[in-house]
Amino acid sequence: MKPQPNRLPADAARGFGGAAIDRSLPLTFRLNGLQISGFHGDTVLSALLASGVDTLGDHLDASIGLTPRACPAIYPAGHAGDAAHALPMARTPAVNGAEYVIAGARRTNPITRLFRPGRRLGLPLDQPHLLDEPWRGRAGTRETETDLVVIGGGVAGLSAALTAARSGLSVTLLEASPIPGGHSGLFGTQEGEDAPEVSMAKLREAAEAHDAIRIICRAHAYAIRPGLVRAHVVDLKDGKPVGRVIDLAARFIVIATGSRERLPLFAGNRLPGVIGTLDAYELATRYGIWPGQSALVATSSNFAYRLAMLASDAGITIPRIIDTRPGAASRFIEFSRAYGIIQASGTRISVAECGRAAGTLSVTAEGSNAEPFITNRLVVCGGWQPDLTLWHIAGGTSRWSKARHRLEANGDLDTIALAGSAAGFFTRRACIQSGADAVDALLGRPRKPVEDVLIDPLYETPDAETAIANPVDGAPTYLDAGAEFLTRPQPRPRSWTNIFRRQKAGLTALSEAPQPLAINDVAAGVDLGLIPPEAAGLVAQERVALVALGAPEGAPSITADSPPPATEVPPFLSGRFGPEAQVVRIIPSEQRRFEPGTLIYDSADKKNPMQAIGVVLRPHGNAAMAIVARQAASNCFTVNLRDHSQAFPAKVALEEIAS
Amino acid sequence: MNDTIPDYAVIGSTPMARLLAGLLAGAHGKQVIHVGESASSYRLPRGIDLSTAVLTRPESWSLLLQGIEETQKLLRRIGGRGTWTYVNPIFFAEGARAVEALSHMGHMARAFGVAAEPVPTSLLGNGRTGLTLRDAMRFNRAQLEPAIDTWLDRQGVRRLIPDKVTVRTDGSTSLQVSGDVIEAKQAILAEDSAIIAHLPLPQWPRLLRRQQNSTILTTPTRPIASPVILEIASGSMLLQQGEGGIAGIGPNDLASFAAHMHALLGRERQVEQAGQTSFQALVTADGAPAVGRASGVGADVVAGFGSIGPFLAPSVARWIAGTAARDEDAWLGARLITRSAENSTVGDYAPVGRKAP
Repeated sequence: MKPQPNRLPADAARGFGGAAIDRSLPLTFRLNGLQISGFHGDTVLSALLASGVDTLGDHLDASIGLTPRACPAIYPAGHAGDAAHALPMARTPAVNGAEYVIAGARRTNPITRLFRPGRRLGLPLDQPHLLDEPWRGRAGTRETETDLVVIGGGVAGLSAALTAARSGLSVTLLEASPIPGGHSGLFGTQEGEDAPEVSMAKLREAAEAHDAIRIICRAHAYAIRPGLVRAHVVDLKDGKPVGRVIDLAARFIVIATGSRERLPLFAGNRLPGVIGTLDAYELATRYGIWPGQSALVATSSNFAYRLAMLASDAGITIPRIIDTRPGAASRFIEFSRAYGIIQASGTRISVAECGRAAGTLSVTAEGSNAEPFITNRLVVCGGWQPDLTLWHIAGGTSRWSKARHRLEANGDLDTIALAGSAAGFFTRRACIQSGADAVDALLGRPRKPVEDVLIDPLYETPDAETAIANPVDGAPTYLDAGAEFLTRPQPRPRSWTNIFRRQKAGLTALSEAPQPLAINDVAAGVDLGLIPPEAAGLVAQERVALVALGAPEGAPSITADSPPPATEVPPFLSGRFGPEAQVVRIIPSEQRRFEPGTLIYDSADKKNPMQAIGVVLRPHGNAAMAIVARQAASNCFTVNLRDHSQAFPAKVALEEIAS
Repeated sequence: MNDTIPDYAVIGSTPMARLLAGLLAGAHGKQVIHVGESASSYRLPRGIDLSTAVLTRPESWSLLLQGIEETQKLLRRIGGRGTWTYVNPIFFAEGARAVEALSHMGHMARAFGVAAEPVPTSLLGNGRTGLTLRDAMRFNRAQLEPAIDTWLDRQGVRRLIPDKVTVRTDGSTSLQVSGDVIEAKQAILAEDSAIIAHLPLPQWPRLLRRQQNSTILTTPTRPIASPVILEIASGSMLLQQGEGGIAGIGPNDLASFAAHMHALLGRERQVEQAGQTSFQALVTADGAPAVGRASGVGADVVAGFGSIGPFLAPSVARWIAGTAARDEDAWLGARLITRSAENSTVGDYAPVGRKAP
């Protein structure tokens, strides 16, 4: 068996051999005892995927694929569960000889392993917290203050960093990938633009060469407020990856976190083998990874056609592209026709299931009477959602755009600006311009209009709404491809037979979800009619995963209280026993401690609280302080205190009472 | 033409507001509009519907217990048994005055036949005194809301989400809906946010105070001692959610309430936030509910009922419709929104968080 079955040849066309890896430097490491092969430049995740590990675990009795957006934290052997040593699989460089473990993984069934060796990480995903980022609970180490923090090292972020640096500002740029540049490669070129790779390289080189710009790669910003960003960074220390949490104070912040790809909604949309177009493109071009020889493409956006052509050039068979848009037009669609790729328009996927042969999927399109497609991989695109996660955490607002089927930022924040596709721009040129514009806006300088010139819809059909299949029995339908595992809410069937079934029904309402709602979950909620469009921005802000920064060390205690004076009458007793009620001592006939609230009656037979003539305020020595109605406020007046259904005789005493 | 103007526009999205609208229409034959979003299936909770509270006055317990029975029958008709669950809420207190108030409440509950038992300190932490009340009804809002909406339709209540609401000082209201203007003779502002948004400022009652409240939802964590835990001193609540998270609702801004909630849950418990929101709520200065017309002539205000509101909705509906029983009339009549909080003779336990700064 090849040690890395999912690695394309080094000379695969269109850069699908992997630009980030050096095949002359092979390496091996261990994860949960399994030996994994890779190359220098791999991340732990890319090496795993290249080695054929494609299954994260099981959730609601269905297998879940291992993807860049859904992978667990790893720990160096001997430090399992220690948040200080936790590392993100997707940002941790693969290092020869390293040994890692995943907390919470279970050993797979030996028979499964016999037939599908090493495909599964074996996480029981029905348990919560298995994909948590343990560093989120840690305090950050304060870094040197900078003028501007740019979050995201794509073309917009690089442009913002360069504009600010050229204006004399000190800049720190945070990028999650090993190298800055971003994800423009998938989206191709419009008339008058450089090739995306050229554009990204130019900006990267300029930023790297500028003394005022500090670039921190493998850094993920997850908390933000005006003036402060918290990020987790993976460094190599003595050749070993180590994680640290940093707090970056800055006058200004630019959020250039790009877009998130939407997941079409159909049963089985997170099975192993199902992947988004951007993840598929990045894995191929950075790490030379493409599992299997065939890939079915299902989309509601034009860029999937471009990926299909690139993959076809790299030797992958694309049997068909399924597009929800009837009669969609695009230069990519025209080109892919010339490639001979069959296009099925106006339809969508109904269900995906694991194929009989290992590593295959059986995919059924809606309305199709034909046999299901058997494919190694299902590449899906449900459109793009600006990533407003940090914007919402920072207090920014958003609203739903019915025309573009997505949440878009709304309004401004004083010291925080959005740039690039996070700000809603579509073209690379506009994203670059918007980076500069964000800095101008923050510095209060005159602003130039950002030119986001889109090709006429007649020639380039805009993205359609995310495809939503009719509910069918099968694997669950997930709202997004991230770590939240939110399933499409379904009303619980009311049947007496349910008592014999295992209750793994999933959610019935989004409000019941105990996990944060990712922005794509909210967008899916709108598409499904679960969230009114006008409430989408509120819900996205309300359900964002927030880490409080700078929360007060100890909130002022609102329970602090000194003992009340003996004669104090609480306001809730005011007027209860008439305007002439009086505080008295109650001396029980037998020694007994009466609690506050013990009701006092003028007869042992009475027990209706409406007939009470007084109530104990608090114990006082061997007696009790009480408030009683006027008729009982006389020395030696006999009363009965009712405590736990029993009546206890006592006498009233009116002598001077010391507090 | 005056006959075509609806009698009431009930504004508010809580179960209490919805029940009021439906009862005024169905049981009292009024023409009613309901204004309120059905958001429980996607928004974080801002309150709870629970058939018990920190009540210390016997007349309040008496009315509540009658209301529970009536509301339960109503709910059976509206949505069936799945729209509520029985829980054993824990009320706990720290600090001498709060502990005393809890003791008063416990004695009153037991006197009315409600099982109230002390909670072991081991479940709550040192320095805390707790009381469990047995078999309290808790509404499942996400399930109940669509059922109530269907019921409102059956009662002939017109449900609207207007673009603009104008409440006049004479209590009448006009609702702008898609370019049309719909009038109603009398507005009933039956939720805090509706009062804050629509009550004319010149009629703002001295009894009502705004308070910043927050809700925080945690990711799944080990269960808390009871599905509902209420810290009476601050008015904070911890609610065990069906899918393993815990929702906390209480006073103060998000940062302060997050710190307080963490303290309530125990510092050793590692939790992450799965959702959070801050909002304005109203409290009455004496801790007792408030009803009646603002300034005696304006919109009807229904405020300060807390968790027990929906269980008193039948009584409030009768009172507004002028068919209340004598005890209801006395209880609600003593709790007019126009009353003074000073020397209040109906005040109930008011959490410390409610006191004016």
